[in-house]
Amino acid sequence: MKKTSINKISDLAAELLGKGTLVAPVKEDAGFNFREISNAGQVDLNFYNTLMSPKSAFFPQTEDFVRYDKNKSVLDAQCVDLNLKPVFLFGVRPCDAKSFQIMDIHFSGTGVVDPYWKKRREATTVFGYAFDINTPADGADFYSTLNIGAADPEGSDVFMMKRGDELLLKAVTPKGETLLASLTSLADASADEQKYFDDTVAAGRDFKTRFTCVDDKVIAKKLEDLFHKTEFWEKISDACLSCGACTFVCPTCYCFDICDETLFSKGVRRRVWDACMFTDFTLEASGHNPRTKVYQRLRQKICHKYSFHVRKYGVISCVGCGRCTRNCPVNIDIFSIVDEALKA
Amino acid sequence: MSINFKQIEEKLKSEATKLLEEGKVGVVLAYGKGYDENHPLPFVARKASDVENIVFNEYCTANMARYIVRYPRGTKIAIAVKAADSRAVIQLIQEDKVKREDLVILGIPAYGMKNAKTGEVVDSKTTCGMYNPVIYDTLLGEEVHGQSVVSPYDVLAEYEAMDKEARWAFWKKELDKCIRCYACRKACPMCYCDPCFIDQNKPKWGEKSPESHGNLMYHLTRFHHLAGRCIDCGECSRACPVDIPLYLFHKKVAKDCEEMFGQAAGMSIEDKPALVNFRVEDSDKILE
Repeated sequence: MKKTSINKISDLAAELLGKGTLVAPVKEDAGFNFREISNAGQVDLNFYNTLMSPKSAFFPQTEDFVRYDKNKSVLDAQCVDLNLKPVFLFGVRPCDAKSFQIMDIHFSGTGVVDPYWKKRREATTVFGYAFDINTPADGADFYSTLNIGAADPEGSDVFMMKRGDELLLKAVTPKGETLLASLTSLADASADEQKYFDDTVAAGRDFKTRFTCVDDKVIAKKLEDLFHKTEFWEKISDACLSCGACTFVCPTCYCFDICDETLFSKGVRRRVWDACMFTDFTLEASGHNPRTKVYQRLRQKICHKYSFHVRKYGVISCVGCGRCTRNCPVNIDIFSIVDEALKA
Repeated sequence: MSINFKQIEEKLKSEATKLLEEGKVGVVLAYGKGYDENHPLPFVARKASDVENIVFNEYCTANMARYIVRYPRGTKIAIAVKAADSRAVIQLIQEDKVKREDLVILGIPAYGMKNAKTGEVVDSKTTCGMYNPVIYDTLLGEEVHGQSVVSPYDVLAEYEAMDKEARWAFWKKELDKCIRCYACRKACPMCYCDPCFIDQNKPKWGEKSPESHGNLMYHLTRFHHLAGRCIDCGECSRACPVDIPLYLFHKKVAKDCEEMFGQAAGMSIEDKPALVNFRVEDSDKILE
């Protein structure tokens, strides 16, 4: 296990920048967001959690596939190469690190492998970062409901936590081990610090965010039974504006559209995030739309995460990061919906 | 004098109960309990027993007029409105999206409303700075008098000081932040087009990816489509997860419209929307 002083964090950042691309939370107008760091001094670990989830490190909102010119032969179209350097994704909260494992199911775990996701995942070392267990969680968070601890190293390659003015770093995977061993800006941690680290991981398991007892199979079945109870869903979605804010900030929403965007004759075929909350998401070529109503779309979102996903892959596709709740323009709260569904 | 939110909440509840019990309306559009006190939800009461969930506090900024077009024409609707929201209702009546006789308007005089995300008071900064509803059937509190009135256009000073190039650079920078979640148009009571131009793909008016030209196409078109129609409730700016100050553009256009055509949006049922009405004496400033 290693350590460094918090005020020397820029030395560590500089060393990582020398080895590849560093992506870390940067303060912007509306809050922190993961951005590529150009100057080591930019790294700032004084954030609660980022506005947008870190999924864009592996699944950017826009991913170019092919560039073409309509005046030329289709054979002249150029595939876009990824050309990735090693990437260090720095400061990922435990709930978000868990989301990467859920997303792996869709992008590489079911037989169809998405080369873009896979290449980015392989090139990236995830530096997880424990929540401060001595400060209460944000009112919107509910990751403990989903059995995620405030200091769970699972999903990270290297896991970090603060102890006073020090930052402790421990390798979780062989990838993280190799990297940590190669970093010269870090000092060895003492046995006492090692114990603090383990104690905090354990204490993080008992840290409570908003909590309700959710059993995967019980909620999946409950929502399956509720599916045709239109009245329940209409009530739930009375306030819903059917915008895409919740899905875009969500770490486990992965729907996308493939678009050809052409300006004059030059164009690019790209993948762009889409959202089940948009009316045109399910619009078919015939003109038929199976989900014209707001309640049908919100029902889809909730059931996908808490029912279909459990039935198909055995795990809830939500990590309780609270982003959808914090960013909903009308304060709809997925935790309350799940709670109501359980009681219905 | 300060606003007695609790008293308004009680009146809102009793009016809603009465209207639902007497069968005068099918739905009451109001505010309900959210996951905590600072996060109330837009709420629809359909029967008298739903009414106990109604709340009203300084965080009830949502403009309930946004939900009117969701109900089939002819539905009897009771709606709780603050000043800006009442202007949205008037504007919707002007645009024939709802009939006055289908509405029971429950007016709420209020100031000091707060943005739940930032805690900031929204009065004249992001809303129209009016405290009393322009139209109502029942007023759920005492009319506000003597509270200092700040022009909703005062916040434009810094923006108006910029020259054309600086304004272009400002909007390019701000709109580059857009993630195209469309929360702004969905929160807007006047954005009811179905489908919205940006969702059409034959012809395709703008790109779907959140990049400069698509973002500009979407926002600039939306800005102008709201010219003379925006009632300055500020919901678009509050809805935006990346804090784009959309209200600046809307306020600027509203101010220009008011100067050119002598009317503000949503102030009278008798008015016609400025841009669909022609009068010989109308300003030609736009052609200069």
